Amino acid sequence: MPAFTEPPTEPIKYVDAHVWLPYDYVAGDYRAAYLRALKEKRILGSRCDRTGKVFVPPVSFSPHAFAPCSELVEVADRGTVTTFCIVNIPVIGRNLELPYVAASVALDGADISIFALIQECKPEEVRMGMRVEAVWKPDGERHGDHEDIQYFRPTGEPDAPPETYLHRL
Amino acid sequence: MTQLRNVAIVSFAQLPVVARDEHRTAMEMLSPVVQAALAACGASRDDIDYQIAGSTDYMDGRPFGFVAALDAMGSWPPRHDNHFEMDAAFCAYYAWVRMQAGECDTALVVAHGKVSEGEPRRIMNLQLDPYYQAPLGLDPVASAALQASMVMARLQLSDRDLAEVAARNRCAGAKNPDNLVREAASPEQLAATPFVVDPLRAAYLPAIGETASCLVLAAEGKAERMCERPVWIHGAHHISELQSLGARDLSRSESTRLAAQRALAMAGLDRADQADLVELSAATPAEEWIVCEALGLDPRSSTPVLNPSGGPLCAHPIMNTGLIRLGEVFRQLSGQAGERAVPGAERAVAHATQGHCLQTNLVFVLGSQRRWS
Amino acid sequence: MRIQDFDTAPLTQRQILEFTYKHSTGPVVGRFLAALKEQKQIWGQRVAGGAVVVPPLGYSEWDASTAKEWVPVADEGTVVGIARVRQPVERLHPFTEPFAYILVRLDGADTALLHVTRADWERVEIGSRVRAVWKPDGERAGSILDIAEFRLVE
Repeated sequence: MPAFTEPPTEPIKYVDAHVWLPYDYVAGDYRAAYLRALKEKRILGSRCDRTGKVFVPPVSFSPHAFAPCSELVEVADRGTVTTFCIVNIPVIGRNLELPYVAASVALDGADISIFALIQECKPEEVRMGMRVEAVWKPDGERHGDHEDIQYFRPTGEPDAPPETYLHRL
Repeated sequence: MTQLRNVAIVSFAQLPVVARDEHRTAMEMLSPVVQAALAACGASRDDIDYQIAGSTDYMDGRPFGFVAALDAMGSWPPRHDNHFEMDAAFCAYYAWVRMQAGECDTALVVAHGKVSEGEPRRIMNLQLDPYYQAPLGLDPVASAALQASMVMARLQLSDRDLAEVAARNRCAGAKNPDNLVREAASPEQLAATPFVVDPLRAAYLPAIGETASCLVLAAEGKAERMCERPVWIHGAHHISELQSLGARDLSRSESTRLAAQRALAMAGLDRADQADLVELSAATPAEEWIVCEALGLDPRSSTPVLNPSGGPLCAHPIMNTGLIRLGEVFRQLSGQAGERAVPGAERAVAHATQGHCLQTNLVFVLGSQRRWS
Repeated sequence: MRIQDFDTAPLTQRQILEFTYKHSTGPVVGRFLAALKEQKQIWGQRVAGGAVVVPPLGYSEWDASTAKEWVPVADEGTVVGIARVRQPVERLHPFTEPFAYILVRLDGADTALLHVTRADWERVEIGSRVRAVWKPDGERAGSILDIAEFRLVE
């Protein structure tokens, strides 16, 4: 039986691994209420029991004041662009025309911003303080998820003064 | 042995362990527990110098998901914070080490993780070496069974020897309202359950569930103001073994033996059986045999009392399990253990573990009196 | 409004996290795997202290010293640990029918190799002598599974 004196000099370069992990996430009651409300064109937030600060999406506990947020409130589907950026590279899995504008929008009634896509304007027209409103998917096409809001577009209102949004970035 | 700083557990809170909480996220489970633990020792968040959390993003299915715990722990203004991808008992050990270094006087230690959202058998396969072990699909139940077969061969244990240890845990656990499994059982009943991965029967596998838990540590000078009966840490040590399953003797836990030796020496003790009770993170009766041997204990003996809480066989909320062992010792030694109390208990040993086949082990020795004066 | 005023029926979402990885092997692991594929030979490495480590890592896990030399080991050995998987988990375990994981100390090695026994999954015991069954030529890919299984030596 011929014996080898050493293993082959050329190594196998890689070991392939296919990680396949199924998860079944729980939304939790607060997020469930928020997502279900989107189907009805309502945006929910929660108010801190101690400071009155309104979080959108709603949280059960304020990370800021370390106190419960027991009250749920409705906020408007319009607000102010607090900050934004113009994206020139594509995102895997999304079919967005380039360039597109990703922004933080402080909805009227909310004390923090949500992330939003700004469309129906040229990217260079977007600015801090610009007033925008949600464009919802039509009735019957909303499922109770974040895609129920397609994007935000300018309302044409005069820009919000900085003191109304700089603390809500 | 060096003089160390006296540090105590002054508070512990947890939710009852459930199979799946359908209404709360991990953070929504953790927030009330942190609030309860702080309230129980009269502390505001600003009284706590240091916070550390134990969880695992792999189990949570969220890269960097652990960061969410900052919200539940009260991280504004910005705090001195750490996270371990480990059972929070290891976080408690690290907090204790920081306190020995004089960096903090009080610490908040939390554990969280919604185990039900993922599949631990698949996830824990990824802890193994990707070249030689993981590709074979070895999961934590099968690796525990491999280890069980080896200790059974070496110590000449029968299925009955596993059933009796399991039954003892189940009977104790029936008195613990926080457990997932709260029914006593006889060895005969447990030995009649089917094999899942021989030699481990269904009733020898841990009761995997989810919860959130929180422990507050405080150094001497503060501990006395926060708790009427602080439970003092007398010694602690943590030792890890090598990674390849075939390169170490799986039938023994040398790391537990070494960790216990040092922790006991710090505590001024020679043997673990000088403690009144021992809480082990052994997930199966075979692991319990191995860990007991390493601690110099006989799992069939009734002194010291082993796992008066019922242990992981009655509740195994992964990432919380070791911290709950410390919490149970706190409850016992501070007179809050209710129906499962070990009367007159003054000293205890708590054990935590992580990784396949008891790869890394942590031993604490605790007592109702200060260790150093 | 309070949360109780809303529909709190559990809301869940299933999602699969799926990633492919190509783990780089290096000169030791890579050559060990190449030997399985091309030579049908299992190699170990001698480390400081004299122990022969199978499968090799290139270093000693005991003292982190660099491994010294390649040592061929037999494809036959003694079973030291067994786990009989009665209900294999789909897409985790390598087979759909019951099988056993084994730790086998191959003749010439000082550590045990993790592998599987299929046909003899119920009969294999600690102390049994087993021998590797290789995947046929053309089917071996340079993986630990180039050894299809271990069978009892009868």
